[in-house]
Amino acid sequence: MKTGIKIALSLALLSSLSFGGEQFAMSDSDRAMYAEMLENNPADIMVAHGEELLSDMGGDAGLAKYLGVSESELPKYIAGFPRYIEKFDMVVGLGQALQAMMHDTGKKVLKLDSSDMNDMLAYTKSIANDEPINIDVNANQHMKDAYALGQITFDTKRGGRGLSCLSCHSPDVIGTILRTQPLPDLGVNNSGGTWPAYRMTKSNLTTLQGRMQGCMKNALLAVIPLGSPDIVALEVYVTDKAKGKAIAIPGLKR
Amino acid sequence: MRKTIVMSLLLGSSIFAADYSGVIESPDAKKIIEKDLLGPVKVYTMPSGCITTDPEAIARGAFIFHNLNGEAIKGNPPKGLSKTDAKGKPKQYGNCVACHNVEGAKGGGNIGPDLTGYKASFIDSHARDNQFVYQKIADARVDSPNTHMTINLTTKLFNEREICDIASYIVSPK
Ligand code: HEC
Ligand code: HEC
Repeated sequence: MKTGIKIALSLALLSSLSFGGEQFAMSDSDRAMYAEMLENNPADIMVAHGEELLSDMGGDAGLAKYLGVSESELPKYIAGFPRYIEKFDMVVGLGQALQAMMHDTGKKVLKLDSSDMNDMLAYTKSIANDEPINIDVNANQHMKDAYALGQITFDTKRGGRGLSCLSCHSPDVIGTILRTQPLPDLGVNNSGGTWPAYRMTKSNLTTLQGRMQGCMKNALLAVIPLGSPDIVALEVYVTDKAKGKAIAIPGLKR
Repeated sequence: MRKTIVMSLLLGSSIFAADYSGVIESPDAKKIIEKDLLGPVKVYTMPSGCITTDPEAIARGAFIFHNLNGEAIKGNPPKGLSKTDAKGKPKQYGNCVACHNVEGAKGGGNIGPDLTGYKASFIDSHARDNQFVYQKIADARVDSPNTHMTINLTTKLFNEREICDIASYIVSPK
């Protein structure tokens, strides 16, 4: 990540945490740790590991070739995921595109929930760092359908408490407090451009789909599997909210 | 003639449209979601004897209000409440404090209205009655269709008695 962006990001994140008061869960020492981690994101090493894994398949050049774009177009192309890829005849997230590439290059296909896959996904997305998110939800009928499915999935109340994503992420509740946590605006917060992220509370690298599964689990919604059309659709819907915002991987989150 | 077209179409598809369904992980989530959907809005009538000043019931109501689930608590819940449900899984509590402030709340949220002084401001003033509180907790959608509040009886998260315990706590003097 460019230092300029890193600093801007750290200021934004720190100021979002700096409204003190016992209302909020983060103590001063937590905040100090957070500031430290922003300088030195523990996930940098995981991203580097992901780069190594990708180099086994030809690195950036191999990926560009596989996806049918030039290496210079690769960052822009990656900034448009999830996208419809004709060869697979489906809307895929980056991890799924990597799975197809693993298969076609004769490598073992990693599961979407494996930590090697997370590392690779994070590296691959970081190729697009500084690039504005350019997902095109009107690119074709498949993307239109995925966006529509994403919105329905986001708005549908279900689970043990009858909640939907919208219950906590609708414009009229953003900024209010859910048990010490300010409810984030998924667009303004650039969720689409800041995951995979290192989660301090979990000490691991989490993808956007994984983060959304976390919300389902916490709010007692049945957790839908990684890669399912519905969670890819959620990723499409949530990513589109941050369209135009610069990609900055790995993110750093609570 | 026709036969050759069909043949070449078949051949074409086997050459060009490689099938990635066995390669790319894309499990079906439709059934999971369908089984998990929230039922229609339901109107409930508060059972007789529901609202009580019994300290044990109020203690259970308070406990459900302020806690998330049996996994997260230390010590024992009040008499009549368990840490686990019938299946032995951690019992889910209300976690109402996530969204509502109330007397003694720790880290209370503000997505929902502040319930501090509820008896004086809402019940004694006749702005609300016990039936309203019961219905609100059981299924909040009746008077507020797009509510962000949790649905507690229609989802069967709690039973009638537990809803009464929680309601008794809300309307009790604190
Ligand atoms: C009961 C409330 C609640 C529900 C329901 C809920 N969320 Fe969240 N969500 C939160 C809170 C609170 C946070 C921020 C927590 C934090 O700061 O770690 C969050 C964070 C997120 C983030 C990360 C934001 C970022 O970039 O830092 C995403 C993405 C997200 N939610 C998506 C979803 C989706 C998709 C659903 C539905 C499947 C959902 N949420 C349901 C409360 C909720
Ligand atoms: C995810 C957020 C959330 C949770 C969790 C939640 N509430 Fe609410 N609550 C709300 C919102 C928002 C309202 C206002 C809209 C409405 O009345 O439906 C509300 C309204 C209420 C009211 C009506 C106040 C009035 O007189 O107008 C009561 C009583 C109440 N909640 C009790 C509870 C109880 C008890 C629980 C736990 C079992 C609970 N709430 C859990 C969000 C929540």
